[in-house]
Formats: sequence, C-alpha cells, structure tokens
Amino acid sequence: MLALLSDEQQMLKEVAAQLAGSAGPANPGDLRTLDRDAAWRSLAQSGLLALRTRDDGRPAGSGVEVAVVAEALGAGLVPVPYLGSAVLATELLALAGAHDEAEALAEGTARTGVLLDRDLSALAVLPGDQTVYGWDVDGAADALALTAVPGGHQVVRVSLATGFTAANGADLTRTLLRSDGPIDAAALTPVGGPLSDEHLRRWEALALTALSADTVGVMRSAVARAVAYTKERVQYGVLIGSFQAVQHMCAEAYVQAEAAASAVNYAAWAVDELDPDEALLAARTAKVQCATVAREVTETVMQVFGGIGQTYEHIAHVHTRRALTDRQVLGDEGVHLLRIADVRLTGE
Amino acid sequence: MDYRDTAEEAEFRASLREWLSTTIPAGWDKIEDEDEAVRLRKEWHRTLYRAGYMGLSWPEEYGGRGLSPVYDGILNEECGNLNAPPLPSVGYIGRAIFMYAGEEQKRRFLPPLLSGEVSWCQGFSEPEAGSDLASLRTTARLDDDHYVVNGQKMWTSGGQYADWCLLLARTDPDAPKHKGISAFLVSMTEPGVTCRPIVIASGEAETAEVFWDDVRIPVDQRLGAPGEGWRIAMTTVTYERGPADIGFIANYRRTLRKVEALAAERGLLDLPETRKALARAYVRGEVLRLNCMEQLSMRVSGRPPGPEGSVAKLLWADAEQSLQHLAMDILGADEMTGVADGWLSSYFTSRPVSVYGGSAQIQKNIIARMLDMPR
Repeated sequence: MLALLSDEQQMLKEVAAQLAGSAGPANPGDLRTLDRDAAWRSLAQSGLLALRTRDDGRPAGSGVEVAVVAEALGAGLVPVPYLGSAVLATELLALAGAHDEAEALAEGTARTGVLLDRDLSALAVLPGDQTVYGWDVDGAADALALTAVPGGHQVVRVSLATGFTAANGADLTRTLLRSDGPIDAAALTPVGGPLSDEHLRRWEALALTALSADTVGVMRSAVARAVAYTKERVQYGVLIGSFQAVQHMCAEAYVQAEAAASAVNYAAWAVDELDPDEALLAARTAKVQCATVAREVTETVMQVFGGIGQTYEHIAHVHTRRALTDRQVLGDEGVHLLRIADVRLTGE
Repeated sequence: MDYRDTAEEAEFRASLREWLSTTIPAGWDKIEDEDEAVRLRKEWHRTLYRAGYMGLSWPEEYGGRGLSPVYDGILNEECGNLNAPPLPSVGYIGRAIFMYAGEEQKRRFLPPLLSGEVSWCQGFSEPEAGSDLASLRTTARLDDDHYVVNGQKMWTSGGQYADWCLLLARTDPDAPKHKGISAFLVSMTEPGVTCRPIVIASGEAETAEVFWDDVRIPVDQRLGAPGEGWRIAMTTVTYERGPADIGFIANYRRTLRKVEALAAERGLLDLPETRKALARAYVRGEVLRLNCMEQLSMRVSGRPPGPEGSVAKLLWADAEQSLQHLAMDILGADEMTGVADGWLSSYFTSRPVSVYGGSAQIQKNIIARMLDMPR
C-alpha cells in the first residue's frame, strides 16, 4: 500500500496547476474576457483531453490522472467543459466503443456535453417529453444521453442546436442549456454499441469521482484564498488571522476539504483498479463527503471575507456556485447515502 | 498510488487473519468486571507479543520486526474486522523512548514494554496545566544522584494499572516555561506515589490522578537531556494523534457494526432517515480510514508525522461522537431508562475524545499555525 501520487502524477499535477492558474478568473469580471478557446487548446495540446481515450483497450490515463486534472481546473475555477466533454462524454463514447468520436473530442476540435434529467441526478434517458439539461456544454454542438435497448442502454447523440435555450445556471463557469421537450426518437443518433449495466456503473464511478475532484479543487483554493486574506486584512489594528475565532473557522474548513480529498484520492484510484461495484461505492463515498461539506466550506470562506465576500464583484461566490452545482450533478449526498445504505445494510 | 496490499502485505494479512480467527478469546467483550477486563487486556497483549504481532514497525534490535508502518495499519484493520480486543497502545511511549533514550535505557525499557510485562502510563497533565501543558508545576529537584519529585498529575489514563510512568516535571524553575521541563521514566511502585481513580461522567474509572510526594528517581531514569521534556512530550502526543499507533479505526468499525445491528433489531432499517444516517456514519469511518492511510503512506515514505495528525484527530473525534449520537437517536428513551445497557456509558466515553491528546480547539490552533496564520 502506498496512498500517494507517483512522481509522474505529481508532475501532471504541477502541469495542470500551471495551466489552470492562467486560465481561471481572479475576479468574476474576468469571466467575460477570459479566452476560453485558448485554454481549451492548451488542454488539448498537453494531451489532457485524451486521458479517457483508449489505447489497446486501456484508458490512456487512469482515474487518478483524471482526478488530478479535474481538481486543478476546479481550483482555478477554469470555465472550460473538461468534465462535460473530456470526462463524462469521452468516457461514454469509449465504453460504447466509439473510439473515433472519442479521439475527435480529445483533439479539442469537437466538443460534446451530456444531457441530465430534470433534477440533474442522472443521465437523461430518451426519447421523452420531460425537461432535460445540457450540462457543461460550452462550445458543444451536441450532447450525449441514453436510450433503453434490450439488455441495456445505447448512447445517443442529441443536437443542441434546436429546442435548447440558455438556462439561468447558478455556476458561472459552466454552460447550462435547457430543453422542455419533447425530444423524440428521430432526434436521437445512436453512437457506438450498447452499454451493459456494468459499463454504466464504471462510467458513474468515474463521473462521480471527477465531479468530486472538481469540488475538492474549488474548496481547497477557496480556503487558501480566505486564509491569505486573513494575513492582509486589518481590523482593530491587527491582522484578522490573529483572532482565534477566525483561525478556527479556517482550520475547520481546511479539515473538511482535506478529508474530502482523501476520499476522492481513493475513489480515483478505484475507478480502474477495483471491480465496478467497489469502485462505485468508493465514488459514492467521495461524492457524499464532497457534497456534504461543499456548502459549509464555501460559506465559511464567504464569511471570512466579511462584507466584501458577499458582493457580486468578489470571487468567493464563484467558488460557492460551482461547488453547489457540483453537489447536485449526478446526485447530492441524500441520493448517494441511500445507495450506500443499500450496499451496507441489505448486501445489494 | 496503490491502496492494495503488496504480495508481502497480503501474505501477512492472510496469516494474521487466520491466527486471529483461532486466537481471539470468546466473549471478551461481555466481561463486566473491570479488573477482569484489565487482566484480559494484559493477557491479550502478551498473546500478541508471543505471536510476533507487537512492535511490527519497531527496529529489530529492540524486539520489533523492522517492518514498514503499513503493517501496523494492517494489524489495526484486521483486529477491527475480526472483533479482537483493543490493541495495546505501546507506540507513542515506545516512540519517545527510542527517539530520546540512551542505549542502556532502551535495552532496559523497550523489551518489557513491547512484551506487555510492564505497562505504562503518561504523567503529563495537571490540575492547573491542561491545554497549557507547558505551565506544569510538578517539580523534580536534583539531589545528588536522584531527582526528588513533588506535585500532582491528572488524566493519567491507566495509572491505576500501570507499572511505570513517563513523567514530565519542572527541573529548572528559572528557565522559560517550555525550556525548564524534563522527562522521566518512573516506577509507579516508588514510595510517595499515590494513585486515585477519576470516575468520568459514564460512572467508570477511565482515568486517574497521581500524587507525587518526595518521590526519588535515579538520575539515570531521566529521559533525554535536562530541559528536553517539552520536545519529548510533543513527539509523544504527535504519535498519539497519529494514525497507526492507536486502534481508533478498528474501534470505530466495531461500534458501527453494533449500531447497524441495533437499528436492525429495532426494525428501523426501512426508514430512509435511519438508512441515510447509518450510511453517513460509514462514510465518516471511510474518510477517517483513507485519511489515515495517506498519513501512513507519508510516514512510510520517510516524512515524520506533523500537523496532519491534527486533521485525523479532529475527524476521529467527530466520527466517534456522531456515531454515539446516532446510537442515541436509534435507542431513544431506552438509553435513558437503563434498558439499553452500556450505550450511555459509550456515549460519555466518546465525549473526552475531543479533549484528550490535545483538545479539538488545540488541534485547530495547530492547524492555523500550519496554515501560517498570524500569531
């Protein structure tokens, strides 16, 4: 047992952090001017969009590498659809054997998102007349969903060009589109071969882990920003970081973010190393931990920043919005606690 | 990164598991009499030692096996899985001795500590020195080739059953408070040592106070240099907070299993709220375990334990106390009417987890310091 990043993974972490550092906003206003396409191109050029393409049937990068990149981009609040296109969609395509389509996404020229159901808790199963959301679809022409076929599911592509309008999404760093349906069978283009339940459990394990890694990044950088602020802000003639009340708030937030990171690291390793049920249990555990603490940690950060931290001009709420949205996507802690209980208490 | 056992670790785990399954004394957790329970714990210590399971990560020259600290983690985990009696916590006293003791002291004190022939307690806190440990007032005055110790210690857990004590006392009253403290290895049978049990809120004598009246300690039983006591104490508590030296993960898992059984017995497993709460308790235990595995890995790769131990300590206290809250919610009035025997005691036993070994507030101070927040 050695639960530490390898030297190569450590290097990847530094590369990803460097990339993310220059591609994310320092202030919410930057979101209007950031060159998102340039950021996407540099991710493609560094090969970071290709981690879940297959090489002789094996993923080019493991769940650990995906989590490392997702955390770095979360930490930088980088407004690119890495999770939507390079992880969630690419992994679906690869599992379905649609390798050419997966490669196209990896090159960064095409982007594809995913369609989620009305409460964001699962991939949409179409056709249907329900409301669905295209999540993390910046620059994407289409998004993937599922359709039921005998013995499993089939990945289908849905064009975002018609029937979708911009939703008033909380997360300012991701694009959210909405369709109030109906989306009928004629609008669905099958991609690749059918997916078994095992495929979908594998996909869910990776997807939950990557989302959780994003949340860990968002939380860690938020806490770091708050701690840095306590070292410059003076009240009553002293730095506010010298007050024990403020120190303990920061320490608590730090502990929660670190605990979440521990759960995510294991889930990330489990994605490709354990059987799908175990990997999924580890991923649900990470998602529960992240979803549970995301609100409190980012709220604590806003509190440390005081009045300025409540304003739209300040970066704090961008962290909060991204963390709260991550919390809902593919199910919040309530959803996954019940699934964990099924495994623990009835051996399902 | 690999959370799996290596081939050697897997082999060790398998043979340990087999050994445990035939060796764990039946009904050990049903013993009511405290003296009988202590006798059993000591016997279990000796049994573990004879089978080679004590001091796995200790150097071979002091009776250990010279293995990586990962093996301590495996022992911890399997004992929890198979519901073995609590593991003796020799790690942190041993750590202090083999980091600071002279060669002769190591040979004298380490083997019987490891074998369970001699059990130890820790004489640190005092009535007026709790979180502010460095303000301790117990004195050790040099008198020729002896120190003469006077004072009172509190929260000396296991003091009533211990043979020896790792004692902190002030040797230089004129030095700054952190610099004037020395550490000693003292027999609890010396004349002038009086031990009185402290009954905690549960009604059980979980800990003790110890009075020191003109207790004479030979100079060669000072641990480390004069004035080095504070550094020794900090090393000890850091390891006490650390992941593998204390059996908290094993204990937690065992208690969780009991709480799950409790909910099942009471027909509560159909309630979504109960299911969520039990799953949450599982998640807390997993997070604690995984955080400890990372710390263990850092230790294996040569990094000494640092303030990350404070993260684990806070997670542990929270997990332990939340689990007792959950049991209380499941049991309802039965915990208050004496129907559910033992659970109120477990509840009160979980409360000091956020006090001993450095209170939760002290741990947060340590983390704030690690974050380099202003003093």
